[in-house]
Amino acid sequence: MAAAAEKSTKERLLSVLDDLEVLSRELIEMLALARNQKVPQPGEDTQILELLVQRDKEFQELMEVAQQQGKIHQEMQLLEKEVEKRDSDIQQLQKQLKEAEHILATAVYQAKEKLASIEKAKKGSVSSEEIIKYAHRISASNAVCAPLNWVPGDPRRPYPTDLEMRSGILGHMANLPSNGVNGHLPGDALAAGRLPDILTPHYPWQSSDVSAGMLPPHHGNDFSLEPPGHNKENEDDVEAMSTDSSSSSSDSD
Amino acid sequence: QSGILPTFNEQARHRFQAELEFVQCLANPYYLNFLAQRGFLKERPFINYLKYLLYWKEPEYSKFLKYPHCLHMLELLQYEHFRKEQVNAQCAKFIDEQQLLHWQHYSRKRTRLQQALAEQQQAQQPPQPHGNAAAK
Repeated sequence: MAAAAEKSTKERLLSVLDDLEVLSRELIEMLALARNQKVPQPGEDTQILELLVQRDKEFQELMEVAQQQGKIHQEMQLLEKEVEKRDSDIQQLQKQLKEAEHILATAVYQAKEKLASIEKAKKGSVSSEEIIKYAHRISASNAVCAPLNWVPGDPRRPYPTDLEMRSGILGHMANLPSNGVNGHLPGDALAAGRLPDILTPHYPWQSSDVSAGMLPPHHGNDFSLEPPGHNKENEDDVEAMSTDSSSSSSDSD
Repeated sequence: QSGILPTFNEQARHRFQAELEFVQCLANPYYLNFLAQRGFLKERPFINYLKYLLYWKEPEYSKFLKYPHCLHMLELLQYEHFRKEQVNAQCAKFIDEQQLLHWQHYSRKRTRLQQALAEQQQAQQPPQPHGNAAAK
């Protein structure tokens, strides 16, 4: 670096001051000597004086240089402060930009979620008319809410009773043995040859008229084959799990 | 065009009826007990059939169910632990009791509300027939 080769102003100033000090000391010594000896050294005092004057001039010049350098240094400091200010402004903007980005990213994410849930809701939509019709069906027939005058002993139930089961096509397909459950005496109604009025379903649970066009989902009719999905056997103890040769346990619908 | 053998559609419609009835029978806890005691709930084909019947949960099928309790029972029946329990008569009785209590919940609530309303109206009636007569 070129600056290292030149002496700094401070060093030069100090060296000049040193020279001045040395020279003035010599002069004073000479004068002191001259007082004692009375023999003047003819050239030396003028030489020293000249050197003194020269050094002094150098000193003055160097002081000027130092002053100017000081001014420049001040300017530099001012500029540095400006730079710092601008720098912090830029950092501030950077922070705000980052924040804005973050907020926008969150907003976009939430908007996407909302769209997804809208899609999902649309898929599962059922016409309100159908829901009302269905609600009317299941409540008017007392299937989900007990009749207001129900007392223990009333044969009506929230599930198909023995009688109803036997009066359906399943009942006709197979001979179900009589269990005498629900407090029903199966023999009575059958002997009487008709269902008691209170049990006559207003909305037949077999729905033969309503469901005229419905078909069940296609199936190969062979239920002894393992279904391709999983079993919900997730409540077994460890032993049963290890001997169970079927597929994995947890279902992820 | 009715031959001796039912057509595919007729077969399918009959199967629909049968499955509609059967899945609703599952709402009857005593019927479950009946099935358990005859060992049906342990047979692999039957268990597979129960899983197949889950299609009744779809809205286009569930709208035909008169007894919606059956869907809950169907879901519970997917678990082996629940199937094992059905062989106990106490279990069937307990389920029956719970079903009846649930079934009666709203009627009881309505009765209570009506009672509360009646009591409130009685409290608001000013009981002063004598006072008025005396003032006149």
